[in-house]
This record gives sequence, structure tokens and C-alpha cells, in this order.
Amino acid sequence: MRARLRPRFPKCTNVRAPRVMLEYVLRRILQLIPTLLFILVVVFALVRLLPGDPASAVLGDRALDADVERINRELGLDQPIPVQFVLFVKSFVTGDLGNSIALKVPVSTLILERLPVTMMLTFMAAVFAVATSVPLAFLAALRRGRATDTVIRSGFQVGLSMPVFFVGLVLLTVFGARLRWFPVGGYGEGFFDHVYHLILPSITLALSLSAVLMRNLRSAVINVLDADYVAFAESKGLRSGIILFRHILRNALISTLAIFGLSIGTLLGGAVITESVFAVPGAGRLMVDSIYGRDYPVVQGLTVALAVLVSLTFLTTDLIQAWLDPRLKK
Amino acid sequence: MTDLPADVPADAPARSARRRALPAALIGGTVILGLSLILAVFPSVFAPYDPLAFDYGAILQPPSPAHPMGTDNFGRDILSRVIHAYTIDMQIAVLGTIFPFVFGTAVGAIVGYLGGFAETIFGRIVDVVITFPFLVLVIAIVSVLGPGLANMYIAVGLVGWVFYGRIVAAEVKVQKQLDYADAGRVMGYTHSRIVFRHLLPNSITPAIVYWMTDMALIILLGSSLGYLGLGAQPPAAEWGVQIAEGKNFMTTAWWIAVFPGAAIVITGLGFSLLGDGLAEVLRARR
Repeated sequence: MRARLRPRFPKCTNVRAPRVMLEYVLRRILQLIPTLLFILVVVFALVRLLPGDPASAVLGDRALDADVERINRELGLDQPIPVQFVLFVKSFVTGDLGNSIALKVPVSTLILERLPVTMMLTFMAAVFAVATSVPLAFLAALRRGRATDTVIRSGFQVGLSMPVFFVGLVLLTVFGARLRWFPVGGYGEGFFDHVYHLILPSITLALSLSAVLMRNLRSAVINVLDADYVAFAESKGLRSGIILFRHILRNALISTLAIFGLSIGTLLGGAVITESVFAVPGAGRLMVDSIYGRDYPVVQGLTVALAVLVSLTFLTTDLIQAWLDPRLKK
Repeated sequence: MTDLPADVPADAPARSARRRALPAALIGGTVILGLSLILAVFPSVFAPYDPLAFDYGAILQPPSPAHPMGTDNFGRDILSRVIHAYTIDMQIAVLGTIFPFVFGTAVGAIVGYLGGFAETIFGRIVDVVITFPFLVLVIAIVSVLGPGLANMYIAVGLVGWVFYGRIVAAEVKVQKQLDYADAGRVMGYTHSRIVFRHLLPNSITPAIVYWMTDMALIILLGSSLGYLGLGAQPPAAEWGVQIAEGKNFMTTAWWIAVFPGAAIVITGLGFSLLGDGLAEVLRARR
């Protein structure tokens, strides 16, 4: 009889949990395939719309017909469109993206050389953005409606309206040219020199992202603060530090992570401009140069590479989110 | 909006205090944008000089009573150029977002109402567009079509509507399950009448709020393209173009780039304040 009085919790209802997660991961990976295919179609169509054929763009107006034909043959442009598309998809599957018209180097080599620079810039910017937005958002939320909150919120309003190229220019002038604390562009030699060269560019890039993150995290924290389980934790007498980290931060971070994932595309777009302002030899700079130079194997290779990078980041943030919040797996 | 109902509820003090506190952002945003619009429509009334006129007798002059924002390397008056740029940049804000707003909202309403296969297809399109770095895509499209503002509008229109569509579709999906939508169906209304006369007016608020933010973003985009040489073309007075013109003079004549930069920040701030204020007012009304 006594045993009955004890609440009988089911032993473990979670036996299917690993399988649910696995199914979710597989489903998300499968969803990636149509997305990637669609990206390939868009890039393919975009490049075919270029006015004039690339051969003339390379050789100039006085090109010989034979040379134009040779280049078109090399690029596979003498084939029917469907065949071109199949070859195009094949080139991405095999990783043989052809050669850059301007630099005469394999496109895959160029991408592998330049993309890590952009990834490092983006990563550093993300670190700066998170390091500034999380504490400030918390401060603003905990002091909601007071002077601190108003100052922080006005700060991110201004941050949101700052164009990347203008911020970069101002930082470059003040901290690079005037105070000489940082180099006025370039990338340097060796890891630590790279980091040193990328400090100003990544702060520039981080500004708008941290404004977006801060705005979102602040309202998420406010929502969580009003939740019953926080009131319960308080009435239970938990230390405020524990409540802050274990209950509030974790729950507020879930939606912020989604915003973060969505912002990666914007961040990479911003990297294009930042790299132009600071003369950083990354993928963004290469992109702008190749667009000006009509170097279209590079443009299409890079566009796809950047899109794939963003897709993979989405996938990662989605999976982390699902892990943090099991309800999302449905 | 301003007059409270006669029977004030118990939590009235708190609520009315919030009511009074709310429109601060709204007022600020409206004032900034109102002034911006006046400058945009009547630039010649306020600009002291011709924005394109060279004056080789007054090159690279710092701010002074004659030239409150200084002059550039051709002796052009910066203040006049900043004022005339309002015409182009406000035009970018409106023309760059009006098509995405209208088209995206309509598509979103239909997709949200139909659900099913239409929703799946739309979801894929959203995935792809979001996956593309927006700026890279716009730069790529502009580079295909050639530099210039008209091509920028086309590029933005091709991509931008998706975001409005997504917002409205999510909202309509919720609204269509409510009783009044069923009532419409029972009364035998046509689908288009239910969607556009009943569901859409109840779902459009988040899209309008996003529209304000979008105008701020599009000004940033337009000036970024101007800076890269892919948007408005020199010698036109446009803030991004002006900053590009001033970048080589940053250490010697900072005023060429800094004042147009300030104009971008202030205008962007106006839109984002208006968006925030509007969001709060509309949320409170719900």
C-alpha cells in the first residue's frame, strides 16, 4: 500500500529521443539538397544573362573569331543550354570549377585561398558581436525602462543605421591613420598578424550584427523574466546568478541563435564591403574584383561557395537550436 | 488614440503611463522623416549653392559661415550636395521597397491561405533567397544589368518581396483558423474576398513594421552600392557616392565624407524609430 503513495514517475519516456534527433538531422540534411540545386539554377541563369559573351570580355573588341571560338569551347559555351547545365552541376560535384580568366589560376584554388580569410573575418566579427551584445542586452533588460536601458537602446538604434563602409572609413582614419594603433589595411603574415590586421575590419562588421542581436536578446530576456518558471525559481530561493545563467540565458539564447543564423548571409554581404574598405584579400574582395573584371568562372564559383557556406551555417544553428529546445524537432 | 475610454480599468495608471511613454520613438521618427521628406521634395529651396557647380576658388575649404559643411576638391558645397542627395536617397527608400511590399504581401496572403503545396514551394524559395548573401546577390545582379539605380530596384525587387511574403504568410496562416474566416466561408464569400478583404487587413501590421526597417536597410544598401560605384553614378549627389569621393581625403578634409555619413545615420535612425514606435503602438492596440 505504501509504495502506491509515492508518485510513480515513468521510468524513462525518453528512449526514442536519440532516434528523434537523428531523424531530424537526416531530414534537415535532405532538405539541403533542393536548396542547393535551386542555388545552382539561379547562379547558372544569372551568369548566362551577362551581356556579351565572356570571350569578348576577355579578349577585347578586336578579338579574332578563332580565339573567341576557342575560349567559348574551353568554357563549354558552344554546347546546348541543358548540356551546359549538366556540365555546370558536374563541375561543382567534382570540384573542378575551371580557371579564372583574369588570374589564370584554378577557381577552386582561389576559393580555398580566399574563403578562409573571409571566414576568419566573419568569425571574429561574430565573436565581437556576441561579446558585446549579450552583456549589454542583459543589462538593458534587467534595467528595463530606466536610463541605462534607454542609453543602450539608443546605441543600437544608431548602430543599425550606420553603413558598414562609413564606419570602416572612420575607424580606419582614426585608429589606423591618425593614432596608428592598427594597420591601415592588408592581411599581414602569420596567424597573430592576421588577427591584428583583422581587428578593425571585424569590429566594423560586428556593429550591425551586434545591434540586431542586442535588440532581439533584450526582448527575449524580458519575455523570459516574466515567465512563471523564473518566478518559481526565485520563490524557491535560488541564487540570482544561477537563475540568470541556467534559466534565463539558456532560454533567451534560443531565439537569438535563430537570428544569428539568419544574419550570417548579411554578415558575409557586409564582409564584401568591409574587405573592400580595408583592402583585406578575402573572398568578398575577390568577388568585387571579379565582377568588375567579368571573370565569370570566379563569380559563379564564389557565389555558390558562399551560398553553401551560409546553408551549412543555417543547418548548424538549426541543429544547435533543436538540441537546446527539443520542441523544435517536430 | 489619445482619449481614454470613460470606464478606466483598474490597471489604468500603469497603462496610461505606458501610453504616454510609447510614442517618443514614433514622434522622433516622424519628425526626422518629415524634415527629410521636405528636403527631398524642395532641395533647391534649402540648398545655398548648386550641388554640381565647380568653384576652383574655394577648393577643400573646412566648414565656415560661407560653406557650413565645407567644400570638396572641386569646390562644390558639401551642404548643398547633402541636401540634394535627400532627393535620391529618399527615392531609393520608397521605390526600392514599394514593389517588394505590395507583391510580397499579396503572395504571402495567398500562400498562407492556400497552405499545402504552395507553402512548400514558397518555403523552398525563401530558403534559397535567405541562403544567398543578399548584398552579394544584388551586386551580382547589378553587375549583370549594369550599374545604376534602376537596375538596383530590379535587383532588390527580385529578392526583397520574399521577406514580406514570409511575414504575411505566417500571419495569415494564424488568422484563417479564426472564427471570422470560417464565417466568411459559410456566407459563401469568394476566396479572394476572404483573403484580401478580411484576412489581409488583419495580418498586414507586421509587414508594415518591417517595411519601415526595410526602408532603412535599403538606404544603407543604395549608398553601399553608390560607394562601390554600382549605384547612383557621379557626379550625382548621393550620400554613398559622396563618401566614396571623400575617402581619399579623410585625413586632410574629413568633412567631405563625414557629413553625408551623418545624413545616412540620421535618416536610417528616423526609419528605425518610426518602425519601433509603430510596432509598439500597434502591439498595444491589439
